[in-house]
Amino acid sequence: MALLERNEWYDIARNTNWTPTHVTEAELFPDVMTGAKGVPVEKWEVYDEPYKTSYPEYVRIQREKDAGAYSVKAALERSRMFEDADPGWVSILKAHYGAIALGEYAAMSAEARMARFGRAPGMRNMATFGMLDENRHAQLQLYFPHEHCSKDRQFDWAHKAYHSNEWGAIAARHTFDDLFMARSATDIAVMLTFAFETGFTNMQFLGLAADAAEAGDFTFASLISSIQTDESRHAQIGGPALQVMIANGRKEEAQKLVDVGIARAWRLFSLLTGTSMDYATPLEHRKQSFKEFMLEWIVGQFERTLIDLGLDLPWYWNQMIAEFDYQHHAYQMGIWFWRPTLWWNPAAGMTPDCRDWLEEKYPGWNDSFGKVWDVIIDNLLAGRHELTLPETLPMICNMSQLPICAVPGNGWNVKDYPLDYQGRTYHFNSEIDRWVFQQDPARYRDHMSLVDRFLAGQIQPPNLMGALQYMNLAPGEIGDDAHKYAWAEAYRNNPYQKKAA
Amino acid sequence: MAAFPMISNFQYDFLLQLVAVDTENTMDEVAAAAAYHSVGRRVAPQPGKVVRVRRQGDTEFFPRHAKLGETGIKPMETVEFIFTEA
Repeated sequence: MALLERNEWYDIARNTNWTPTHVTEAELFPDVMTGAKGVPVEKWEVYDEPYKTSYPEYVRIQREKDAGAYSVKAALERSRMFEDADPGWVSILKAHYGAIALGEYAAMSAEARMARFGRAPGMRNMATFGMLDENRHAQLQLYFPHEHCSKDRQFDWAHKAYHSNEWGAIAARHTFDDLFMARSATDIAVMLTFAFETGFTNMQFLGLAADAAEAGDFTFASLISSIQTDESRHAQIGGPALQVMIANGRKEEAQKLVDVGIARAWRLFSLLTGTSMDYATPLEHRKQSFKEFMLEWIVGQFERTLIDLGLDLPWYWNQMIAEFDYQHHAYQMGIWFWRPTLWWNPAAGMTPDCRDWLEEKYPGWNDSFGKVWDVIIDNLLAGRHELTLPETLPMICNMSQLPICAVPGNGWNVKDYPLDYQGRTYHFNSEIDRWVFQQDPARYRDHMSLVDRFLAGQIQPPNLMGALQYMNLAPGEIGDDAHKYAWAEAYRNNPYQKKAA
Repeated sequence: MAAFPMISNFQYDFLLQLVAVDTENTMDEVAAAAAYHSVGRRVAPQPGKVVRVRRQGDTEFFPRHAKLGETGIKPMETVEFIFTEA
């Protein structure tokens, strides 16, 4: 029997809307779950997903992808990649797995919400595949690091991180709860797939796969490529949802979702990708600075897409671009100095050649961030190791849950952005973070940052040891310098001299 | 006497930090408590200079011997610590 081509039956088959008779439409699709924003169902039916696939096609392609990724892993299992890789690269793997693997399960729940409550049949269809994608991503990114657990306990954090109160895990949970666990189907389409995935993760995974290949880690490269091809498909759920909202007079609501989504995603991206690209990636493998990457891939792409859709650039666009020059440098300083509070060993990325590179990519770096590293290097060389470690907590932003930090040294420009709300003072890293809070204070007001918890007596004993216990960091897991401080020796009797321009 | 948490924004450092002081502490003592977590760790010492205390955004410093409890600084307020000539 001859089979019809997909395009001959797809539109009919995906039209799964019907008129309920046992319950009302509002009971079947409550607004709080759909997020339809008053746009009637027939208006949502024009939603046209740009990427169409059928279930048999999906299964066949996914099976091939899985076979590819698992066979590369099996073929290279006896390679000495793990033993021979630069410790900075191994740190990127640990940070990545811990921050991402269980987040994929959260994304699966979010896709499931779109699959059930999406107002457009096309959205439900794509999200069904998206849900299966995210399940695959979680399982892959738990299975692949598992082989390393017996050699290095920090890899156990691929699964453990989200179940802990480690500060980065709190930040990731807070962001993902906000963008897609505690949102309606429409909001998820915009905030998870459009803002987070199209804007950031899709691009990041492309870059990360290339970096892995460059570092000789072909197992990770094939894993990440395998995931990225799924992302580039299901990330397209948000675009047509925005089109429907805008065509039906909901531009203002759409704009706010986009603006909040990008703001929140940018912070995590800056922390994870920014520090990985400009510090943990061995110098010889760096293709672009994080700033160059952001300007070329992220800013350009968002500007084109937002304008094509008829949306505006977020009000904070120029401020965010200005942050490309400093925010991830400050986060790097934070993760390195508070390294016992990590599940990975941060690479300082601080050889003289690294500093020359940073100065070239970020003119003035040595006069600002370099000044702080100078003090750290002096302490390391003089054997004052204790002064390279913290004895208090950084102030944590009540939105990003990351340290409030900016430019040190001669360009010193660090500031608190406080807000009094219902008798409590909240502290923010920037005008952007504070603005996000102000958009929906009831949503955020009850969360306690790590510092709030400390002050409330939840961390006992109230010192670094108590904090490490609270974060579930066991001996053998807590972070230390990735290269065992060997890089500092380059400065012994040879203080850093900035290269002449 | 009462334990008093405040937020230190120390000149030339890269972040805000939690610092525990006491309402009976003078501004010089508060500055020393904040300096403990910044100077010599990430901020180079500046011999001969004095660290003065002011509210975020102010240009005027509190008197060096003023007690914290008398300044009107609230718990968990962000305070700036600035190197000045002695």
